Order: sequence, then structure tokens, then C-alpha cells
Amino acid sequence: MLKLNGVTRRYGDIVALDGLDLIVPDDTYLSLLGASGSGKTTLLRLIAGYEEPNEGEVLLNGERLDGKPPHRRDIGFVFQNFALFPHLSVSDNVAFGLRYRESGAIESKAQIRERTEDALNLVGLDGFGHRGVGEISGGQRQRVALARTLVTEPRIVLLDEPLGALDANLRARMCDELRAIRERLKVSFLHVTGSETEALTMGDTVAVLADGKIAQVDDSSTLFSQPKNPAAARHLNAWNLLPGVVEGGALRTSVGLLPIVEQVADNTPVQLAVRFDEIGVCDPAQVPEAHDHFEATYVTGEFNGPTALSFFRTPDGELIQVVDHLSDSRLPDLKEGQAYALHFPPDAAVLFKGAA
Amino acid sequence: MTTVIEDFPDEPAVSPAATREAKDRRRAFLLLTPGVLWMVLFMLMPLVMVIYVSFWTQSTFAVEPTLTTASWERFLSSPTYLTAIGTTLKTWIIVLLATIVVGYPVALFIGLFVKNRTLQTALLVACVIPFWTSFLIRVIAWRPMLGTEGAINIILLKLGIVSEPLSFLLFSEFSVYVGMTQIYCVFMVGPITFMIARIDDSIIEAARDLGASFGTIFRRIVLPLSLPGVIVGTIFVSVMVLGEFATAASLSGRKVNLLGNIIVSQVGSLKWAFAAVAGVVLTVIITAVITLALRVVDIRKEM
Amino acid sequence: MQVGLLRPALALYAALFLLFLYGPMIVLAILSFQSQGGGPQFPIQEWSVYWYKHLLGLAETSRVSQLPVGDSLIRSLVLAFLTTVVSVTLGTMSAEAFRTRFKGSGPVFYLIILGMMVPGVLVGLGVALLSNFLDIGRAWWSTSFVLHVVYTFPFAFLVMLAIFNRFDRSVEEASLSLGVSPAQTFRRVTFPLIFPGVLSAMLFSFTLSYDEFSRTLFTAGADLTLPLAIYGTFSVEIYPNVFAFGVLTTLFSFTLLVIYGLLMKRFTRNKRFAGQEDA
Repeated sequence: MLKLNGVTRRYGDIVALDGLDLIVPDDTYLSLLGASGSGKTTLLRLIAGYEEPNEGEVLLNGERLDGKPPHRRDIGFVFQNFALFPHLSVSDNVAFGLRYRESGAIESKAQIRERTEDALNLVGLDGFGHRGVGEISGGQRQRVALARTLVTEPRIVLLDEPLGALDANLRARMCDELRAIRERLKVSFLHVTGSETEALTMGDTVAVLADGKIAQVDDSSTLFSQPKNPAAARHLNAWNLLPGVVEGGALRTSVGLLPIVEQVADNTPVQLAVRFDEIGVCDPAQVPEAHDHFEATYVTGEFNGPTALSFFRTPDGELIQVVDHLSDSRLPDLKEGQAYALHFPPDAAVLFKGAA
Repeated sequence: MTTVIEDFPDEPAVSPAATREAKDRRRAFLLLTPGVLWMVLFMLMPLVMVIYVSFWTQSTFAVEPTLTTASWERFLSSPTYLTAIGTTLKTWIIVLLATIVVGYPVALFIGLFVKNRTLQTALLVACVIPFWTSFLIRVIAWRPMLGTEGAINIILLKLGIVSEPLSFLLFSEFSVYVGMTQIYCVFMVGPITFMIARIDDSIIEAARDLGASFGTIFRRIVLPLSLPGVIVGTIFVSVMVLGEFATAASLSGRKVNLLGNIIVSQVGSLKWAFAAVAGVVLTVIITAVITLALRVVDIRKEM
Repeated sequence: MQVGLLRPALALYAALFLLFLYGPMIVLAILSFQSQGGGPQFPIQEWSVYWYKHLLGLAETSRVSQLPVGDSLIRSLVLAFLTTVVSVTLGTMSAEAFRTRFKGSGPVFYLIILGMMVPGVLVGLGVALLSNFLDIGRAWWSTSFVLHVVYTFPFAFLVMLAIFNRFDRSVEEASLSLGVSPAQTFRRVTFPLIFPGVLSAMLFSFTLSYDEFSRTLFTAGADLTLPLAIYGTFSVEIYPNVFAFGVLTTLFSFTLLVIYGLLMKRFTRNKRFAGQEDA
């Protein structure tokens, strides 16, 4: 079990990680979602030991990691650019750690060959060993990088946007393979990414990193349907957020007064979150009964294949997104510049206390 | 001891980040120490020594570490030495301008007009290859070129351009200028070509599409962007020309006496203090030139 | 001026420039085949290799004394070799240090670069004065040697700095993450990858030292290096044996260059460097 306690990392005046706590349980695929510049790579580098925290501690199975040099941490790292050794062949890349590691290096050539072949087999690259790393494709390099790391049997594997350098088709396939490989080895993977779809697909558990802290850790579906705070909701790229203030049991927002279910004291600043796919659109005169609603102007639409995204703008400029599934269309024909009522069932709304 | 620790329970332990940073700094420091030490001992110390000895007392064949300004007074009141300063500066200016004038069009051609990468590299290599010949041999090679019975005079006579050999070609100021220009030109061509070749083609294309003439493109785009190259080249050429003595010794027939030649001849007659004075003057001149050039461009950024 | 006309004009100019660069060497090479009776100028009385024989001590005695190339050549080669080893080591260490940001990196950078900037005659004088002052004897392998390193170390440093600038640090981190110690990482990953740079730095250092003479002039003591032997002929009359020497030493330098090229080619092809570029 990897545990981070109050880890802080500062670069001059910039705080990249701010007292971050995180637990990566054994035998788990944990994906860490964060925007670019959120410090997610810094987090991995701290765990791997390429950098050290200013405050806090990093523990692996109860043993302090921080302060240890990186090569004594027993932690695997898969780089976004793969970082293969360009002067070595594929099998020499994979055998590298076995041959030269400081503790537990293997002397026997036959044993090295066997383990190298097993590792290449595992990632589906049998027969590629003699090739130069410049002679194989991007996806194959990714597998070599993975095999090179896994063959040394690290206690946990960190993956830094491992799919970022691959094209879309390959990315989908590698997603499945990564999960399958991990399940066979029973080692924990900590996979950081900036893509919410990747994070939700890959992880048994998904953690959201925002403002140098972990905003929420949950399984994919819980996280997606019940974000615990605005930061988590924002990162999922599926929730509209409307800031407002509570006023006599209702919410005063820039789009008018919206009823709320919970009992909240007056003058509390809150944010109302409604998922893109929970909002219906209709003529302002025909709002379904029992649905809350507000008005906004249709701006433009974006066709994404199985889904369509529509953009609306509230009178004071707030952008609202609505998702429609083609197989189950809920939206009328929309005219640009025309005002519509955006409505949703009251129980679809989530209320976050605190200012935006 | 325990009580001391308990006295400051909130005292934060040194963070791992600080420890790592200190370790990295210590490593850099250890790696740098031998090189820095070498430069201080064998470059800075000798230079300090030159300044120190310039204030020593010079007798006929020896120097005494009794401090005096006599050598300086003699140097600064001697027309021979003052002329040497003038000659050094004059030679520097002329050779510097000559390398720019001769080298710039070549750099312009290689950097801007040769689009083929291979050809570009080949031309640059062709410019650098003579550098692989011994410097002294390259100087000497001008003698059979420029002499009264040299290649140039023979050709001029054959073509009937002159009726008798030109004698000013060798053992004159002219031969020194020509020799130095040929030898140091490469150091001007290289940096300028590098800067010009770095100019994004699309900028020039865009300017041309907007109807700019070549003259305008050159003045507004190529010239300003190549200027750092000229400055870097100027630093190289200046430093080398100002410290020169071999070319003048070989090609001028003792007509050109640079500060370098003064140092060599003073050392030859064991007048160490005078040599040191000339050395300090040379240092001051070179420092001034480099400082001036570095004002214009940050050499570390251009590397 | 029309661009159409400018291009051929500049091409012609560049051709003339190359003639300017190579002309003297070509003339010198031709004249090195002058016959015994001919002087160091045109016309060639008769083509011969007499002066080459003379240079190598194979000609019968003549009024022209033989160039003292034998011992001085060996000294120069040994000196260049020592200089290369030390300056490339120092250059690599310093460039490696510069990969860490540290306070005072600016002054240190300029201190090192100063070594290639400061005129040879000046530091030569300084070292001569210093050795007189400290009563240390001057010799090509001591006082000249330290100055040669002062001169070539900055070149090696700049070459290695450029190499490290393009170096992808993550391959070293990858090696560390596999449990390989920093020392082994340097030996197994960093060094093989920077080796082409090391080779270039070695070539630079060797050639510069082999040819260096203004720093050697005051510091070599009694035993001459090769350039000093040549410099000695400046003051006296020149004979074509100097030209023959010029041709041979140029051929030697080119041989070095070719060896370098072959090593470089072999190394980069075998190790498939393409991998790092597009990874």
C-alpha cells in the first residue's frame, strides 16, 4: 500500500502540491485525473524519487520512501515518451534492470534471457527482441517500456500519461491490455492522465487532483454520478456549475431563483451542479411539471458521433452544456440565438456549499 | 541532548527536498571543482602574475620584485611602444572589417540561398577544412603566393596587367592584413551562417508575399537577425587578432610590430617587466573589446 | 538588385572565397615538389620528391639543415594526447555539473570560456613569469601542458554542454527506476549516448593542442614541440622542405579527421540513434 501524507512540493513561490493525502491500495488500478499543470507529474516524480517533497511523507507498506535515492525505491516508472535506451536492442532494454540493478542483479545469462522473453511475451512482443528501438512503432515502444519496468517486479508501477503519445485507435487497445496485464501481475498501477475518459475507463478507482490536493477518490461510476465537490465535478467535464447564494430556502443565481431541496442557512454561497445529460430543453412555455428550469440562449452545437453537445449561454454569460444521445434524442430542433428553457428534475441537481 | 530536542518540539526537520537540493548542489560543486581550480591556478594566477611583474624593477638581464612604476613610465613614454598600441588597434580594425566584408556575403549565400541541407553542410565543411592545416603552415603558405616571384605576381605579369612585379604584396602591412583575413575569416562566416540559416523560411516567404523587395527583406529581416552572429564572430576574430604575433613576424618583414611582437621580443631579451607591461595593456584592450561586444549580445544564449 | 541576379553573383563570390582560402595551400603543395636546386617559388625547375626525402632525413647532406621534426613530433603527439584526456574529462565533468541549476553558474561559465578567449602569448607570458617566480622549471610536459588544457578544456566543455542540452534526461531516470545505481547509469546509459560528443571533443582538443604554439612558445623550455620547430624557421630563409612538411602534417590531420568520421559513422549506425530523436 502506497500512502502519501500531507505531501507538499513548492517551486519558489509556486505551490505544485499542497498537503496532499492519497492512498493507493495493493492490487489496484488507480487513475489520477488532473488538468495539465495540476502537479500530477510532480506527484509521480516525488513517489519515484526524482524529486523530493518539501513537507509530508511518502510511505510504501509503512516504510518511508522520501529521502531514499530513486534506485533504491523499487518503484516502476513508465514515461510518456517511453524513455527507451536508444543504443540498446529491445531485449537489451528489457534485460537492462535485471543485469545492472544494484541489488539482486541476475548473473545467469540463461535466466536473464528467460525472464526477458517472458516479459516480452506478456506484452505481446515475442520475437521482437533483436530489433532496435528505433525500428518499432509507437505502440510497440510503449510495450517495451512496460516490459522493461515489469520484468524487475516493482512494488508499484507509476505511469505518466502512458497513452498520450499514441494515436486514438492504439490508445483504446492499450487501455484494455494495460488492465489485463495488471490483473495478471497483481501489482498496483498508478496511472496519471489529463483525460477524464481515460481516467474513468482505466481505473478501478479514480482520484481527482485539483489545486495541489486530492479532491475526491471513488470508483468510476460513483465519481461520475456523485462528485463531492466543484473541483471534482469540473474535472469530469460532464457537469454544469451555477454559482449562487441561498435566499429563503431557494438559490439566487445569475439565472434567477431556483428551488433547492436541502435545508441550507440563508446567505450561504453554494454551487449548483447539473450533469450535461440530465438537462432537457424546451420552449419556455412548456416546462414539464415538477422540473426546475432557467432560461438560456442557444449558441451552437457540436456533433460527436453517438452524442451531440449543445451550448447555451445564460443572460450574464455563463456557458451551459447539454448532452443528447442520438439513440434517445430529447432535444427539439434548436435555432441559434433563440431563448429556451433548460429544465431538470430537482433530484438531478447536486448542491456544493462554498463559493466558486 | 534529549532535553535540547524536547526544547524545540516544533522545529521542523530538514525537508527531503532541501536535503536533495543540497546533495545536487554538492555534486555539481564537486564536479566543477577540478575544472575551476585548473582555470584559477593556470589562467587567472598567471594573468595576475603578469600585472604583478609589470611593477617589478627591471635590470639588464633580470627582474627584481621591488615594486616600481619605472617600466610603465618607460613604456608609456616610448614612441616605439605607443606606436605598437596604435598598430595593434589599426590592424585589429582593418582585419575585423575585412573579415566582415569578405565573410558576410559568403555566409549570406550559404545560409540563405543554399536550400539543400547537404550542400549547405558541405560548403561549411569546405570553409572549416583549412583550419585543419597547421596555423603556421597556413601563414607561411602566403610567402610563395605574394612574393615578388610569387604566384600572384607571375599571373599578373603573364596577363600583362603589370609590367614589373608588385613589391608591396609581401613583407608589408598588406600581406599581414591578407594573411590574417584569410586565417580568421572562417570564425566570422561560421556564426553568421548559423544565425542566417536559423531564420524561418516562412517569415521570408510571408514578407515576399506581402510584396517586399529583396532589399527590404534583407534590411528588415536578415540583417537584424544575423547581427548576433556578427557579434559572436567579432568576439572570436578580435580576440585572436589582438593577441597575434606570428603572422606579423612571418609576413611583415618586421615592418609591423604588434603588442604581441613586443611581448615576444622583450621576453627574448629577458626584459620580463616590459613584456608584462605590454601584456597588461593588451589585456585592457581585449577586455574592453569583449565587454563592449557582450553588451550587445549574450553569448551564453546564442551558443 | 534583382534576386535572380544576386544568386549567381553570390555563388561566384563564394567560389572566389574558397579559392582565397585554398589558394595558398595549393601553391604550397605544388612547390613542395620543387627540385633540389629550385627555390621556394615558381617556376618549378623540375618535379621531384627531393624535399620530402630531405625532410625525412633520406637525402644526402645538403647546405639546408634538416627540420627537427623527429623528437618534436613525438613530443607534440604525447602532449596532444595528454591534453585531450584531461580536457575532455574536465569538460564532461563541468558540463554534467551545469545540468543542475546552481548559483554562480554565470561567472563559472565565463571563467571556463575565458580559457579559449585569452591570447596565448598573454597566458604564456604569465605562466613563464609564475614558474620563474616559484622557481619551477619549464617543460613541454608541465608548464605547456597545463596551458594547453586551459585552451582546449573550454572547447570540450562547450561541445559537451551542447550534447547534454539535447540529452533526454528521462532515459537516466528510467535507468534509476529499474534499480540501477547512478554510477552504473552513467556507465551504461549516459556515456554511450554522449559518446559521439566525447569523440568530437577529443578531436577538437587533440587538433588544437597538436597545432598550438603561442601558448607553448614561452613555456616549453628547452625541448621544442613541432609547431615551435616550424616557428624557428620563420626567422631564417625558407626552403621547400617546410612546404613538404606542411603537406605531410596536413595529411596527418586529415587522417585524424577521417578516423573520426569513420568512428562516428560506425558508432551512430550500430547503435541506432534514431530511436531517441522521435521517441
